[in-house]
Amino acid sequence: MFKYILVNELRALLYTWKSMVWFLITSVIFSFASYLFLTDKELSLLDQSEMLWLLSKVIIGTALMIITVDASSTITGEFEKETAESLFLTPLSLKDFVLGKLLASLSLWIAIFLIAVPYIIVVSAGSHVTAAFIMFVLMLGTMLILGFQMMIFGISFLFRSSKNTLTTSLVILLALVLPATFSSTLKNNPLSHFLSVTNPIDNVFSSLDNVLVDYQTTLTGNLKYVFPVLIFCFAAFAFMLYSTKLFKRSGVVKND
Amino acid sequence: MNIAVKTENLSKLYGQTMAVDRLSLEVKNGEFFGFLGPNGAGKTTTIRLLTGIIRPDEGTAIIQENLPAGSIEAKLIAGVMPESRGLYEWMTAREYLSLFAHLYSVHNAIKATDEKLSIVGLSHEKNKRIGAFSRGMKQRLCLARALINKPKILFLDEPTLGLDPKGQEDIQILLKALNADGVTIFYSSHLLNEVAMLCSRIAVIHHGKLVAQGTISQLQEQTGLTNSGLKDIFLKLTGD
Repeated sequence: MFKYILVNELRALLYTWKSMVWFLITSVIFSFASYLFLTDKELSLLDQSEMLWLLSKVIIGTALMIITVDASSTITGEFEKETAESLFLTPLSLKDFVLGKLLASLSLWIAIFLIAVPYIIVVSAGSHVTAAFIMFVLMLGTMLILGFQMMIFGISFLFRSSKNTLTTSLVILLALVLPATFSSTLKNNPLSHFLSVTNPIDNVFSSLDNVLVDYQTTLTGNLKYVFPVLIFCFAAFAFMLYSTKLFKRSGVVKND
Repeated sequence: MNIAVKTENLSKLYGQTMAVDRLSLEVKNGEFFGFLGPNGAGKTTTIRLLTGIIRPDEGTAIIQENLPAGSIEAKLIAGVMPESRGLYEWMTAREYLSLFAHLYSVHNAIKATDEKLSIVGLSHEKNKRIGAFSRGMKQRLCLARALINKPKILFLDEPTLGLDPKGQEDIQILLKALNADGVTIFYSSHLLNEVAMLCSRIAVIHHGKLVAQGTISQLQEQTGLTNSGLKDIFLKLTGD
């Protein structure tokens, strides 16, 4: 049954031109970043691996921002536009509803990733880790985005308001992104170090650094960075499960 | 299989307000059952409890003899036109209805979609965006959605609200035909004339409590208003 929700959601993305706006923003940001890396006097002096690492930050950062904004209204929109009631009057299960929405939202990330691939290829011209780097951006990006989506869906079921969900999600995103931008000197502090090794975003960038600088292109070589991202995904899944239980208990319509 | 809907001590509390208070009623198969009450009496909450959109705090509700309200089996045999219409404005009527046909796993969804659109008089508008529909057309589309799974029981919450007299008459004729075909109809409305004309039995709730139920003549007897219409009976039963 989830496939009908997925198809409906994908059609909504196309029909309402929402996705086109996202893709345009993405293309402009990636073009601008790549252009600067390759033509700016100072940026073009950067080592190619550092250039790629910065580009990966731009790609994943842009995707996280877009997914956060988009996913914040994916579930809550059904409550605000009062379409949830008619959907749940059918035999549609909550599991199928969430799965359909999750896959639709994930497809937005896949599209953003596909837009990013040509830019990666151009910036990484001549590098022998291009393929591995692309695979790692896809794998780590997918895990990170999936974790964020589940967390945002969990928040959506609790608040049922897109404004509150978006604000909360952006605060969490900011709280995770900021420590990831700390310099390595700052991370020598025990607290900063702890934040760094537990922060999923930080671990994604550390893993990509590991691929580009230390040529660790195997999964086992990156396990210590992949593991915290996996834990984040499981925690987000558990949170979503908890909030859907609360949702089931309180009913599709919260109040009369 | 004689009981279409049965509730026992059904209760729902919203904060400090008892929206539905130990409601016990029974609707038989094939009945056209009117459900009346003033604004805020608990009609919509009752329908939401019966269709599984919200859970009761106490009591039970069953559909078709033994199916718990809100269960998948109950949803498959019930058609609902809720108070909140909730339509995807960017879709065409046909796309919208076929989505629901698929969600109900209706055999030959496209054929069923066209058939229901034709029944509610929207055949010529099937490829038009819902956003461009008038209120009455949206109302008809909601009714088509409620009929898409060929329900045995129809729960209708103000189905003719916003329709012009011709539209109201069309819906009334359609509902009569469905009832004649054996579909049980649970009908909530503020239009007392309409209820008096369509319904074989009526229940009145006030402050979440059932205050009377029966045929119009039984309600006349209960209130002592032997020669009065439903409006007077309703006002007497719900006057504080």
